Amino acid sequence: MTIAGWSVVEAVARLLEPEEREAVLGDLTEASEGAWQALVDVLGLVVRKQVTVWSSWRPWLASFGLALPGSLLLMGFSLSVSQAYQRLIAPALLTSTGLRLGPGFTLLLCNIALLIGWSWTGGFVMGSVSRRTVRASAVLSFLPCLFCLERFRVESISRLCLLIFLPPAIWGVRRGLQLAQIKLRSALLLAVGITAMTIPTWDNRGSWIPNWALSWPAWYLVATAARGRISLGGKHWQTN
Amino acid sequence: MIGEFEYVLITAAAGIGENAYGAAIREEIESATGRRCSIGALYTTIERLEKKGLLKTWMGEATPQRGGRSKRMVRVTPKGVQAAKGFYDAVIRVSRKASWATNRSGSGL
Repeated sequence: MTIAGWSVVEAVARLLEPEEREAVLGDLTEASEGAWQALVDVLGLVVRKQVTVWSSWRPWLASFGLALPGSLLLMGFSLSVSQAYQRLIAPALLTSTGLRLGPGFTLLLCNIALLIGWSWTGGFVMGSVSRRTVRASAVLSFLPCLFCLERFRVESISRLCLLIFLPPAIWGVRRGLQLAQIKLRSALLLAVGITAMTIPTWDNRGSWIPNWALSWPAWYLVATAARGRISLGGKHWQTN
Repeated sequence: MIGEFEYVLITAAAGIGENAYGAAIREEIESATGRRCSIGALYTTIERLEKKGLLKTWMGEATPQRGGRSKRMVRVTPKGVQAAKGFYDAVIRVSRKASWATNRSGSGL
């Protein structure tokens, strides 16, 4: 276990952040550690770091409070939007007589905007709440997707329709990793817009839980933006 | 108050001075205590102490003996010095009446 062993050590060390990986592998080389001992050391560090990270509430919220239930609900909503699109728009596009849009069209547009809003805000909060565990959250998002894709049996619609929510969600995750929070005005606009678009479903008692399970990230963004503004205001007040 | 291993790490880093980095601190701890110091314990403690503002770290030079990899340099902050001093004073105070401490000071006289 020499060259192959060190390859394994370097592969495991990829679970560490780049600078830490550099320092740790350098230390192990300098100390002339054997590959087996080095592997035990690196694994020990990885486990300790993961235990430290997961001792906070943030990764649990991102993974089990958002990624897992969110992807399940958004897949269902993606399917619902796809079916509505197929029912309302596709036949009109196929007929040569032109586009005739019924009253359901506005609701469809509203649902498409809602799907994008829910996916983006969910992704953003997932990325910003726990950056170090974003891979675990991503795995927990994709597991229900794989499960549902495997069991999808509707012939009239492509199984890829289940994944319509993914592009805005991935975009949201990327933005969430870059920024800790968004501006209060934008956050409020998003949250109010998303909540307003759920109004047509308010008379349906069954939709309350999924609506709020998908809408809370938007209000979480408002809360973090407001808190950021207050702390910034406090700093200004202190310096003045 | 800082913990025992945190004190050992800060003291080792302070003893090495400007050239304190991961491998050197680890070697110092192992030679002083006679016990193996794992990379995991060392780096998680360094990170925790840095978050508490007791240490400052930065990436240093790369050397051929490290396979061209950079060192993680460590410096004890004034707050770290205070914390280590507080721990040391507490150990001295609590040890005053202990037989090994009194014998030690007696033999020294």
